[in-house]
Amino acid sequence: MEYEAGLVDKKMLGKENALLTFACESIARKALPGQFVNLSCRYFLKRPLGICSVDEAAGTFSVGVREVGAGTRDILQARVGDVFSVLGPLGNGFSFDGVSKIITVGGGTGIYPLIFALRKANALGIPSICVNGFRSRDDSFLLSDCEKIAGKAIFSTDAGDFGVKGNVIDALMFLSDDEIKGSTVFAVGPEIMMIKVSEWAAQHGLSCQVSLEKRMACGIGICLVCVCKVRSSEEGVPFHHVRCCKEGPVMNASEVVW
Amino acid sequence: MVDLSVRVGTVELKNPVMLASGTCGFGRELSEYLDFSKIGGICSKGLTLLPREGNPGCRAAETSSGMLNSVGLQNPGLAAFLNKELPFMQGLGTKVIVNVAGHCTEDYQKMVERLGTPECAADALELNLSCPNVKEGCMTIGATAEGVYALLRAVRGLTDKPLWVKLTPNVTSITETALAAQEAGGDAVVLINTLMGMAIDIKTRRPVLQNNTGGLSGPAVKPVAIRMISECFRVLTIPIVGVGGIMNASDVIEFMLAGAAAVEVGTASLLHPAICAKIVDELQIYGDDNKIDRISALTGDLRLW
Repeated sequence: MEYEAGLVDKKMLGKENALLTFACESIARKALPGQFVNLSCRYFLKRPLGICSVDEAAGTFSVGVREVGAGTRDILQARVGDVFSVLGPLGNGFSFDGVSKIITVGGGTGIYPLIFALRKANALGIPSICVNGFRSRDDSFLLSDCEKIAGKAIFSTDAGDFGVKGNVIDALMFLSDDEIKGSTVFAVGPEIMMIKVSEWAAQHGLSCQVSLEKRMACGIGICLVCVCKVRSSEEGVPFHHVRCCKEGPVMNASEVVW
Repeated sequence: MVDLSVRVGTVELKNPVMLASGTCGFGRELSEYLDFSKIGGICSKGLTLLPREGNPGCRAAETSSGMLNSVGLQNPGLAAFLNKELPFMQGLGTKVIVNVAGHCTEDYQKMVERLGTPECAADALELNLSCPNVKEGCMTIGATAEGVYALLRAVRGLTDKPLWVKLTPNVTSITETALAAQEAGGDAVVLINTLMGMAIDIKTRRPVLQNNTGGLSGPAVKPVAIRMISECFRVLTIPIVGVGGIMNASDVIEFMLAGAAAVEVGTASLLHPAICAKIVDELQIYGDDNKIDRISALTGDLRLW
C-alpha cells in the first residue's frame, strides 16, 4: 500500500548520512530485514531505501540515507514533521530458513539493512558476526550499534585510520575457521564488494545472500527498469532478466550473473 | 450524477481512464493496490511472438517532470501470455486491451491472428508501432505514413476485433501517420507513445541509459500529446485515445477537450499505484460540480483561438 508517513526523528551520522525514522504502523508491523521502502522526495521518482529497523510498539520504521544525488540530498534536508509518500515494505528480504549462524558483510551504507538482519538473528537466537568496511574513520557510522547487536564486529577502512586496513575481504581474514564454518553470509554493498564476498563464501563452502541495487522507478515490479541477470535453467539461454525490486533485492549469490 | 461511460468505437468503457501499456504489466502487481473494477480498462505490457529479455544495463533516468526508459519490450511472449496472463486479466473486471509489438510485418500478422479470434478475451488490440527502444519493428514501422498504412493493411483482414494504433510522436507530421492508420482500417489511434531522448552522466561522459537513448514519459510530454491530439481530432473520423503524462482528473479533462474519447494513464502509476481509481473519483466530482451530464460530451469541445 501507499502510505503518508511523517518523519518523527532524524539522527545525523557524520556529514553525509542520517537515520530517518517515520511513523507508519503497517510498515513497522510487516517489514522484514532486506526489504525496502520507496520514499517520495521533491523530484519526480521516489527513492528506494533499505529498512534499517522497526519499532512495532511505537509504529515506526527507520531508513539509513546517504547523500548520493539530488534526491537523497533533498530527503536528508527533511525536518521532523514533514510528511512523505511511502510504498512498502517492498521486495524480498533475507531468508533465515535453515540458517544457524550468520556473517553479515557490509560496505558503507550496506550496514543499514544488515543491522536489521542482525537484530532479527538475535531475536531468533542465531549467533552473528558483523563485518563492515568504510572509507575512513570520518566516514564510519553505527559502530557501537554493530558491536552491541552482533556477537562480534570487525571493521575495515580503505584509509587504514581505523580497524583493519583494506577492504572487507581483508577483514574476513581475521575470522577463525570455527567462526566461518556453517555460517550463512549476508552481503550488502557496492557490486564489486558483493562479487568478492560471494567468491569468498563459495571458497569456504558457505551459502551467500546478496542485496542487489539497481536504478529503480516504481519499486513494485511494473516498470521493469531495475532488472538484474540471473542464471537460466533452460539450455542455450545464458541468463534471464528479473526485477530487482520484486524478485530481489535479496538474491542467492549463486543465482546471480554479475 | 455525471455519466462517466465513454465509447472508443465499438468498445464501451465504464469510464475514460485506462492503464497504459508498459506501466502496469498484466495487472498482477497493481491488483494489490488498485481496484480494477473502478477503471475503464487495462492495456497489457507490449507483447512479442517470442519471449524477450529486453535491453541490458541501466534502463531508467529521471528527468525534470518525467523519466526516460529503455526497457526494450521485455515480455514473456505470446504463448505464456495466453496461458497465464490473459486469464488473469479477464478476471479483473475491466476491459482488456492487448498491446501487440513485432519485429516485422509477419510477427504482427501472426499475433493478430492468434489474439484476434472471437474466442480470445481481448476487447481490442493495440498495435504498438511506436516503441522507441527496439532495433526492429515498432517505431521503425510507425515512423512513416507508408509504414503505418502497409502494416495496417497487412493485419486488418485477419480479425474483426477493434484495432487501435498506438503512434509515435517522433515524426514531423502526426496527422499523416494518424490518417494512414485510419485509411488502412484502424479503429482508433492512441496518441502518444514516448518521445525519444537522451540523458548524459557528466562524470563518466556516457549516456545514463545503456541503450544510449530512451523514451521520455511523464508530465514533461503532456503538452506535446495535447497538441498532437488536437491536430488529429480536426482531421480524423475515428476516435483518439489520449496518453502522455496524465497525473490527475484535470489532465484527463484537458485530453478530452483536445479530442480524446478516452485516456491511458502511464507513468503516474509508477509513482502512485492506485492513482487511476483516484482519478476516476476526481472525474466524478468534477462532473457533478460542473453539472456535466455525460463526460463524453467533453471530447473535442475545444474552442481554438
